[in-house]
Amino acid sequence: MNEMTQLKRFRSEIPRRDLTELQTQENRLLAAIADQPSAGVERAVRRPRFTNRLRLGLTGLAVATVTAGTLTIVTDSEPDAPQTIHTMPMAASQVLKRAADNVGKTPELYPEPGQFLVFESQTMNPSAGQDRKGRPEIHLYRTKRKVWLPVEGDATGGVIESELLPPKPFPGRPLSPEASEDVGRHGPSKLADFDDRAEYLRSDYTYVSRLPTEPAKMYEHLYSHLGHNAQADTDAWGRVRDLLTEAYLPAAQRAALFRAAAAIPGVITVDNAVDAVGRKGIAAARVDPVIGERQEYIFDRKTYMYLGERSVVIDAAKAEAPVGSVLTSSAQLKVSVADHAPAVVDED
Amino acid sequence: MNETSRGEADDASFIERSRREPEAFAEVFRRYAPDITRYVARRLGEDAAEDVVAETFLTAFRQREGYDLARPHARPWLYGIATNLMGRHRRTEVRQLRILERTGVDPVTAPFTERTDERLIAEASRRNLANALAALPKGHRDALLLVAWGDLSYPEAAEALGVRLGTVRSRINRARNKLRKELGEINPMATVSEEPVYE
Repeated sequence: MNEMTQLKRFRSEIPRRDLTELQTQENRLLAAIADQPSAGVERAVRRPRFTNRLRLGLTGLAVATVTAGTLTIVTDSEPDAPQTIHTMPMAASQVLKRAADNVGKTPELYPEPGQFLVFESQTMNPSAGQDRKGRPEIHLYRTKRKVWLPVEGDATGGVIESELLPPKPFPGRPLSPEASEDVGRHGPSKLADFDDRAEYLRSDYTYVSRLPTEPAKMYEHLYSHLGHNAQADTDAWGRVRDLLTEAYLPAAQRAALFRAAAAIPGVITVDNAVDAVGRKGIAAARVDPVIGERQEYIFDRKTYMYLGERSVVIDAAKAEAPVGSVLTSSAQLKVSVADHAPAVVDED
Repeated sequence: MNETSRGEADDASFIERSRREPEAFAEVFRRYAPDITRYVARRLGEDAAEDVVAETFLTAFRQREGYDLARPHARPWLYGIATNLMGRHRRTEVRQLRILERTGVDPVTAPFTERTDERLIAEASRRNLANALAALPKGHRDALLLVAWGDLSYPEAAEALGVRLGTVRSRINRARNKLRKELGEINPMATVSEEPVYE
């Protein structure tokens, strides 16, 4: 008798209950189903855009310029929400599953404590402010940035060197002259004056290399302190970006991140996505119904290396921009390791 | 065992309908609850199984929007959710296997077993099997038991666990090797009979 036969007989005396014996269970489920709020009720009220983002580096314009896609601060979450466990569903996104399968194909970096990870990227984000006459102004603000982040510790230990590129008009709006005022090089300067992210939102190398390598656990991590509603999925999807943008995960954690992200409800594939420097790729994406945009993470079609991200308007009224226009995009150009960050110059 | 082939609509169509009419999800429960309950009870015992199964279907219900409707059968999806939920009971599962290994009494099957005399006959191989199962890495045990007890095919187990087919193959191969080795080490003097006991 081989081991499989023995195993199949092991505990085979446990009976199979029929549906009449499971009636109580079924009633419990039906009661719980009847209790669920409908999808419409669950949907969160519209959140103000760009307000939950922590601005990093670059003094730039005289008005607040908010960089989407860098760091999310704690207000994004619901600290008082009861701890709900999010169980990972079936992974649905082929793009992300392939990205996970291919993590081993890029050379791995092994940064040591005391060193810095250096991220070079190009970004485009909406920037809202006022012109000289105090009228509201909005444009798409573009930079090339090089960021040094300590292997251990928060963003206040980071340094940024950037070049403000000529801005683009926000789709459907005129471009104000003020938007171009600071075009040129800036820095090196301190990346952030404060970084009060919650522990579970940290993205420094020391922290992320301790994240789970099991997709289901990574999925739970992405949903830390999130409730059970449509907004939770949107927020979890946003946290994926926080771990992809100016963050470097060891291959095992990166693969787990991609597999976990593949299972976030609502992930779709976008066949022709373009990053901030014009590289074409295939994207895993998710519609954020509240702000009316599709948030895409773009991968190289052949190597499945992460290229960058993009958000595309799908609801003109909510996004306040024409359908199909691109409001944010980034391109990750290079990640490397350095022993030192450049000395910070005082710009003010 | 698998009741999906009743000539009715496939699971996906019920799941799709349940997005508009939540009660339609009850059909998914009716199709799979008996099998999944037995599967979980075999691993954790009947008490824990009750909660895990209730949670499995509620979780599935909440995640029905994310279900890939191109997949007609919900079986791997549901076993995957159940497996994830059982992850929180890993210690219980291992502890019960260790009790069986040490004492020869299986806390999981004890409520269903009256024939104590026959149980003693199987003691050696069951204890060795329990020992081998307890020692497996969780991912290996999941893959092995989804196939051996859950009647999932290898591709279905891969789908349930969210891993590649090759990973399932290698996990099961390695798990089977360990089982074989463990069972091969039964002291022949202690084995009264090679015959299986419960049938």
